[in-house]
Amino acid sequence: MSLGEKSFFAPFATLANLFKKPETIAYPAEDLNVHGKIGPSLKYRGMHANDHQVCIGCASCETVCPTAAITMKSTGASDAELKGANAQRPVIDYGRCCFCGFCVDACPSGSLGMTREYIYTKPSEKEDPLEELVWKRDMFTIEPGNRWADNPGWQCTNDETWLDLDRQHMHHMAATERVGSFIEFVTGFTKEEALREAARCIECGICTKTCPANMGIPEYIRGIYDNDLDESIRVMYETNPLPGICGRICTHKCEDVCAISHRGEPVAIRWLKRYAIDALGPDRVTEIATHAKELFPPTGKNIAIVGAGPAGLSAAYYLSTMGHGVTVFERMPKAGGTMRYGIPSYRLPDSAIDNDVAAMIGMGVEFRLNTPVGEKVSFETLKNDFDAVIVAVGFPGGRSTRVENYDHPDVGLAILLLNRIRLDEEIPVHENIVIIGGGNVAMDIARSMARLQKVKYGKVSICLTCLESETEMPADREEIEESREEGIVIRDGWAPKRIEIAEDGSIKGLQCVKCTQVFDENRRFNPKFDEGETSFYKGTQVVEAIGQTADFSFITDEELKQMGMDRGRFKVDETMESGVKGIYVIGDIVHGPDVIHAVADGHKAARSIDTWLGGH
Amino acid sequence: MYLPDGYTTLEKISENDDHILYDLFFGPNHPGMHGNFGYVLDMVGTEILKVRPNAGQLHRGFEKAMENKLWAQNISLIPRVCVPDPDPNEVAYCQAVEAIMGVDIPMRAKYIRSIVLEMSRLGSFLMGMGGVAGALGHYTTMYLMMIDRDLILDLFEALTGARVYHIYNIPGGVRRDIPEGWTDKLLALCDRLDQKLPEWDRLLYENPVVQDRLKGLGYISASEAMASGITGPSLRACGVAADVRIDTPYAAYGEIEVGINLSGGGDALARAVQVRLDFEEAVRIIRRLVAALPGGDFKLDVGNLAKLRVPAGDAYSKVESSKGEFGYYVVSNGGLKPYRVSVRGPSMPAGMYLCHKHLRGMKIDDVAVWMASFAICPPDIDR
Amino acid sequence: MYDHIFKRAQSLHGDKITCEKKHPQQLEIKTDRHYVMNLLSWLKTESYVHLAFISCIDWIEENQFELVYHVYSYEEKNHILVKTRLDRDRPWMHSIIDVWGHAQPYEQEIHEMFGVYFPGNPDLSGLFLHNWKDLPPMRKDFNPKDYSLALYSLKGMGHEALDMDFIQEITELEVE
Repeated sequence: MSLGEKSFFAPFATLANLFKKPETIAYPAEDLNVHGKIGPSLKYRGMHANDHQVCIGCASCETVCPTAAITMKSTGASDAELKGANAQRPVIDYGRCCFCGFCVDACPSGSLGMTREYIYTKPSEKEDPLEELVWKRDMFTIEPGNRWADNPGWQCTNDETWLDLDRQHMHHMAATERVGSFIEFVTGFTKEEALREAARCIECGICTKTCPANMGIPEYIRGIYDNDLDESIRVMYETNPLPGICGRICTHKCEDVCAISHRGEPVAIRWLKRYAIDALGPDRVTEIATHAKELFPPTGKNIAIVGAGPAGLSAAYYLSTMGHGVTVFERMPKAGGTMRYGIPSYRLPDSAIDNDVAAMIGMGVEFRLNTPVGEKVSFETLKNDFDAVIVAVGFPGGRSTRVENYDHPDVGLAILLLNRIRLDEEIPVHENIVIIGGGNVAMDIARSMARLQKVKYGKVSICLTCLESETEMPADREEIEESREEGIVIRDGWAPKRIEIAEDGSIKGLQCVKCTQVFDENRRFNPKFDEGETSFYKGTQVVEAIGQTADFSFITDEELKQMGMDRGRFKVDETMESGVKGIYVIGDIVHGPDVIHAVADGHKAARSIDTWLGGH
Repeated sequence: MYLPDGYTTLEKISENDDHILYDLFFGPNHPGMHGNFGYVLDMVGTEILKVRPNAGQLHRGFEKAMENKLWAQNISLIPRVCVPDPDPNEVAYCQAVEAIMGVDIPMRAKYIRSIVLEMSRLGSFLMGMGGVAGALGHYTTMYLMMIDRDLILDLFEALTGARVYHIYNIPGGVRRDIPEGWTDKLLALCDRLDQKLPEWDRLLYENPVVQDRLKGLGYISASEAMASGITGPSLRACGVAADVRIDTPYAAYGEIEVGINLSGGGDALARAVQVRLDFEEAVRIIRRLVAALPGGDFKLDVGNLAKLRVPAGDAYSKVESSKGEFGYYVVSNGGLKPYRVSVRGPSMPAGMYLCHKHLRGMKIDDVAVWMASFAICPPDIDR
Repeated sequence: MYDHIFKRAQSLHGDKITCEKKHPQQLEIKTDRHYVMNLLSWLKTESYVHLAFISCIDWIEENQFELVYHVYSYEEKNHILVKTRLDRDRPWMHSIIDVWGHAQPYEQEIHEMFGVYFPGNPDLSGLFLHNWKDLPPMRKDFNPKDYSLALYSLKGMGHEALDMDFIQEITELEVE
């Protein structure tokens, strides 16, 4: 570039521009057209659009909004109508919004997006300045809906989102290694992993509503994230006195509805709970759990609990925190119920149960072990000696398919076999085993038998058949996958027809027919079979794992009827009180087998007993 | 003297037989003033005797506000520290956060950041050159430059979703990948800008009026400039080969060739020409960056950004903006929010300190030109 | 590469000084407040001629202010953060405007925002805040939200300042 003398004609250079096409645009007659589509760019951050059908009301947008422009407005719908969602939707104050689009990038469901619309104006109708202020606020406060949805602008893909979609990998022993022993094979998070995993939570609270015990999940995850494990444990014990157990074997319904699961993998809520418990150590956990002991003076009332399973333990803990005297009657030599004598130790080691039971012992709960009600002490005595009785006996027995030859000595019931494995008894293990059932118990027995086979024969040969197709199987997904890794063959969609017996009296195998339907349109159990299609599974031992039964021999039939027994289960309301005053029924016998339901029942029963006895 | 209603007279400070001393508010609403800033000038006739900077009319407490927002949320506030050239702020902040976290972002993200930074500088240079032209009364030239600035903003819109406040960089990288066909458009724009330069030379730099007005105005020697905190084009105009991109390479500047051209002279003309040279070089740098743009991720996985927790520590990160060194000194105490964010704006030394020396004895018509030549942008004073 | 700076600084000030390499091309020197003037003047002669800016941090829990002087050498291409702590109850620091003239507005700003005094600085008048009567606002114990709620009622609309009922009403509107 030269800075020399300017030409005489230089001023006329501008004349050349006189006849050029203007660079300006005569809006609104024409609009910018440089982005392949008339109007602003395809990523333009304009007014919001929100698909209310997809939105889950998690309030993530509200949290990340840097200008506090977003507030959540209740839709008025009840929680029951909205499974896995909060009854609220974002409302945006455009007087504050800075159109940064963080709300879109942090939306876990992908319902919120921004559009290419950016003009929104109206002449004021008010003269009074205060009225105008209110009017303006109304006008600029918009609940985004589908209004501009046909003109999308700034959207967010999984690559671009702020959320951490990938779960921290949980360390497992390799399948070949773990199948040889009953040692717990999930090793738990390290601190770094737990912090990273806890940071994934957006604290929407949808999990809390879904959890049967309504655990304060976002709060305890926040405790982990803030490295305040004491607070975390405190929150857990508010609603669940068995966090160490639930941190391992809970059916984690919370994770099914986790907001993050809409885009990625849900937060590992269960493993985080386990991390908090393990990282803090049993002594400190018990100390926190029993801090409520001094808060309430003893009431002088005494409550008997039949059964030291999860429901009974939960009720015992909460009753004792309210100052009541609690005595638990348990037929087995240790507390824990099915958790100890049903669930294999590779999933739930005894130490985890002992640590959680230590809290009940610390609270002063009296355990009468090896004391089956009906044998060593009668149900009548309990009713007379105690102010209230809680029946929490669970399902210690197994159900049989009752197919042909079901009474052969090599046919076993899963729950009884598991029980014997936990008691360290020698049980028959054949080289080829067929298992009937598709639930978690079936998986437990299959994987337990696999371990025993591995020890005895050095290889695994187990075939698992179930009525349901794989997508319908009631077992947890991870259980199914882990079973496969351990060498168990799963044949889904087959109904057992008969157990074939060989000439020498031993079992030849299981004859099955195709199951075409398990549940009807009303989700009722109504299996249909196609007799034409059959299959045969070879094996010399058959284990049935199709359901469990309770044992009420200590209660008279008449009384059972009075208490509200109906086809094997009790019908009770929210107070958990049975038809007989002062007798409460909780746990599996009400809600079916599920630890977290049992815990919730125990808490409910404790509260209603406390109210009934004139509590606090 | 007759004045119609609504007019005020200048405030008379003192008078003697020869002179009357007036207090004149130059800005905030003066057409030659860049934003809500002003100088209170003590005038005798049209000559300035004393100057008092009148800042604070834009003060929004950015630094305080940043202490009350999450690490990532601050990105929406930061570009507002410099409106015409917002990206250096975003990048400087993000780099400081990344330095404290001790993470290294993917190479593609670095390249995209560099491209965005250079585009931002181009847009700001056009506004700066236009500012000089406008202050000298060359409005046509200014408007022509604004056309090209708008074309840059179109590309920003296609990349970041917004024209002015891009809110595009986040700790760990950038928010969106480059859309398909975007780089071609960028290269086409580079060609256009190159073609435009001769026209601007004719209209502005070779114009004798411009040269006469700028020559000798606001002269500063190299050593004085360095000791007064002057950076960027204004320092290079004194003949000092200093450029943050070369001296402390950040983003992708360590990977490609960054040229440096010095105008030399130290006056307003040298500064105006320096901006033009830097503009030319920035166009070249963009071409090099696009040619070397690698594939891969456009951001680093740092976990949930809304719950980003930066370990305790501090870092200073600086970026070469169109006006000079933009720096962010970020202090973390290990929390979810910054403990302190301190902004080093390039306008403070000239706008608040050099003005005392330079404006004294200057004619009032040169004040706006002087400000434009130092590219004084009040938001980074009033942060 | 920058060892000579460390060595020299330590030989000048002994154990009152700590040096650390923080990031690439970034060093940190922590020193006692009495040595700051000397250290900065010396650094300026050692080619660290560029004072980028001065920042202040309020460490309220330790009851201290921290001043950070950012100096840079165009020759060594190196950035040094000179840090020193002041007592928060009586915060003052020698002005460095004799070394760097443009420190004046930075010190003026820190005085206004934190209340640190700089004897020797000729102008510590208000720079940004007009009619400010509250605590220096960048201090950690100043709460901007409370301040705004108390000050900016809708006086212009016929409501007195500090009309808490009305503020309540407006705040509720916002929440709905």
